[in-house]
Amino acid sequence: MIYSIIFGVGVALFGFVLQTSIAGINRKVVARVQKRYGPRWYQEFLDIFKLLSKRSVTHGWIFDFGIIMALGGIIGTAMFMPITQDLIAFANYDNFFIFVYLIAVGSLGMAMSASGSGNPLASIGVMRALTTMLAYEVPFMIVVLTIIKITGTSSVTGIVQFQQLAGNNWFIIALPLGGIVGVMALMGMVGKKPFETYVAPAEIASGPMVEYGGKQLGMLFIMHEITVFIEVSLFVHLFLGGADNILIFIVKYFAVYTTINIISSVYARFKIDQVVMFFYKWPLIMAVTQAFVAIYLGWVI
Amino acid sequence: MASIELLIIVTALSGVLAFLLGRLNQVLGSVVTILASMFVFISVAYYGYNDALSNAIVFLPFVTFKVTYLGLFFAIIVTFIFAMVSFFNPLFVEKYKYPAAYSMLYLFSLAGVLGVFFTNNFMALFFFFEFVVWTSLFLIPMGTSKRATSSYYAFSTVGSFALLFAIFMMKEASGTFNIVSGMASVNGTEAAIVTVLLAVAAFAKLGAFPFNVWLPRVLGNSPDAISAVFSGGLEKLGAFVAVLAFVKLAPFGYTIDATGLQVSQYIFAALGALTIIFGTLMAIRQDDAKKLLAYSSMSNGGYILIALTIASTVSVAGGLYHVLGHALASTAAFLAIAAVSRQTGTTKMSELGGMIHKMPITYVVYLIAIISMAGIPPMGGFISKWLIFQAVIDKGLILVAIAVFFGSIGSFLYVFRPLASLFLGQELPRYKDKIKEAPVLMLVPMIILAGLIVYTGVFPNFFLDYINNVLVEAGMNVLVLGKYTITGNNGILNPVLIAMSFGVGVVIALIIFVTMKKSKKVGLMDTYTAGNFIYSQELMHYSLDFYAPLERLYAKYINITKDFYKKLESYVVSFGQFIKYYFFTNKPEITVFWIIVLMLVVLWGDLL
Repeated sequence: MIYSIIFGVGVALFGFVLQTSIAGINRKVVARVQKRYGPRWYQEFLDIFKLLSKRSVTHGWIFDFGIIMALGGIIGTAMFMPITQDLIAFANYDNFFIFVYLIAVGSLGMAMSASGSGNPLASIGVMRALTTMLAYEVPFMIVVLTIIKITGTSSVTGIVQFQQLAGNNWFIIALPLGGIVGVMALMGMVGKKPFETYVAPAEIASGPMVEYGGKQLGMLFIMHEITVFIEVSLFVHLFLGGADNILIFIVKYFAVYTTINIISSVYARFKIDQVVMFFYKWPLIMAVTQAFVAIYLGWVI
Repeated sequence: MASIELLIIVTALSGVLAFLLGRLNQVLGSVVTILASMFVFISVAYYGYNDALSNAIVFLPFVTFKVTYLGLFFAIIVTFIFAMVSFFNPLFVEKYKYPAAYSMLYLFSLAGVLGVFFTNNFMALFFFFEFVVWTSLFLIPMGTSKRATSSYYAFSTVGSFALLFAIFMMKEASGTFNIVSGMASVNGTEAAIVTVLLAVAAFAKLGAFPFNVWLPRVLGNSPDAISAVFSGGLEKLGAFVAVLAFVKLAPFGYTIDATGLQVSQYIFAALGALTIIFGTLMAIRQDDAKKLLAYSSMSNGGYILIALTIASTVSVAGGLYHVLGHALASTAAFLAIAAVSRQTGTTKMSELGGMIHKMPITYVVYLIAIISMAGIPPMGGFISKWLIFQAVIDKGLILVAIAVFFGSIGSFLYVFRPLASLFLGQELPRYKDKIKEAPVLMLVPMIILAGLIVYTGVFPNFFLDYINNVLVEAGMNVLVLGKYTITGNNGILNPVLIAMSFGVGVVIALIIFVTMKKSKKVGLMDTYTAGNFIYSQELMHYSLDFYAPLERLYAKYINITKDFYKKLESYVVSFGQFIKYYFFTNKPEITVFWIIVLMLVVLWGDLL
């Protein structure tokens, strides 16, 4: 048990290091798209450690407690994430719904802390973040419903195994419409343009993050990196057939994250009601069509 | 050994006692409600759990009792809610116009509830059902609105008549009023009609679509404590009837191949789905915290209905667990709001702010309650939602799943609203020096409820094990439970592990937080405002129309059910006018008209 817990914390740490490095590399990639040079690849690490070491201000106990709950919830979620089929802390318990709902504890903690700062811009940011969540989550869950119904298991490693069996395709190929919805929902989840309405630095001053500095902001950065790790790895496992070894996992992970980053680098930002309208139009129609076709007609490529 | 009959009689008598003492001293009367309802809860839970409740009848005429696992499950939950809420009575009783009658009616409705859950006679069931309606009916107008009462009565009547017709049909088929043989003896078209009638009763009592109009009115306008009782306790009578309608009676229609469900199941599940969507969308746009929680109750009722209509082992277990989880969470949330309402005098979120600084314990209770309501681990609401998701996915109900997921994510939105604008945000100056934490008597039940919410989320197997008895009684397979694990249709859940990993995460975060440099404390007004100078807390507090951009998208459609009932009302009124005009009038021309008709009829008879 103790070993599993330490292993789980190791997964969270691995996720943090991996995502922070890849985010650093991606800053260079996006800079090249925009004809800049961009910072060094380890710039993100420097930022986080500098922030953690600085003295900052607090707006009361809920401001601090929310941060601890946020980071705690996210680390707790990351502990369940499989990297490959063997590299997993708690085998058999990597239920898909844990990732969707335990991650919400983290988000709730952050939202609570942000609202506790008393800054209206933070509350507006939280409002937008929750609205965005309402938008992307439903089409995504319908696609996942299709996947769980086809594979007969909601364990993430079980879904990976199903895709790796001979004769089965990765779900991004087997369920092409669902795969597209998955990519769009992923962009909403990690808050990339055009769905980064809730951060919107030029409009509401980074939204929920507006009041933070020092160690609180540093911890939020760590939380954000691990959140992105959970979301992107979930995509890799659900749609790209997971990975046999850690190297393939990193390659797939890098490919997914870089792709959505490049897509987002050429987009502008949606308004928040446009985000909702967008997701409840084509992605939802595509997700439902895919579900009907796959479940009722049994047409899976 | 404890006799159910005696429990009911003692409860009713202590109601009379509460009335008499309440006439002398209003607080004394409400203290009787605490003692009596705690006594009832402890007896029901203790003797019921040890199979020591007796069915013997000595005093009451026409009534027979039979303890079932199902009835006991509901009875323990609802008496517990009554017992917890009763702690609020002494502190609220001075606000009511008739405090002595309040205490009496409170205990009378508790007695009625016991009768509903334990009787095995349909006429007694109907009697107790009506007894609960009539006693709770007079509790509602002690709040802020009298109109809510008529709305409640109208919809309850629809439910009651449906129940009565169903009872008569079963009596016709079986010849007795016994519940078990009555339900066993109907089949074919009769069974279908009985199912629909019972479903109407269940929907009306749960406040599900299309009988949803009364719920927000009643819960929003009742006295604060009564709202909690309705949401956590009395509404669950609907779930009880729903179990009879959907689980004990076989579904009808033909089988839809793709889902393996009967048509009737699919239709009722679809209505449950509409309940969820309506409740969620309406809850998002409320400004009154109690109304918001009322719509959330409606939406959660939809989950219970969907779970029970699917009627598989996992779904029924999930539905029953949701009854428990939602009763605890929504009562805790309502009580927290009631505490705020008592200290500030309002439940409007746009008029409140920063309550956390003066009422931190109330805040924590509310936080735990909403985490459970939103279905986030490690609270009880997650377990039931997980089971319901499993069942919905297993059947491949795509359209129902949209509603289920929408309601689940939507609940994050609406439960966060009071958190952000009522408890958090700027501390408004008008409350700054006047407000104190709620009195200890109110904190005790809230803390007990919060503790239980966490317990149901971390160690659900104790309760699920009991639910398995209910499933066996209904002739279903049992839910597979390990020591700490739950096995669903397509996965295993280990709630203890989830709670533990969350704890480990929090410890790591705490270590990082503590080891780094200490922060300087600054005021709430000392914030970044993008160069604007804002001097007043009111202007810095974002609480009115919280989800305005989202609300705008569906603002056109919010009155659909209300308009429907308005139209129905106008038809009923015009029909009544028609009747009144032709039958109850003293206009000469109508009298002449009737005389002519009568003569024609007589002549016609003569001709034959």
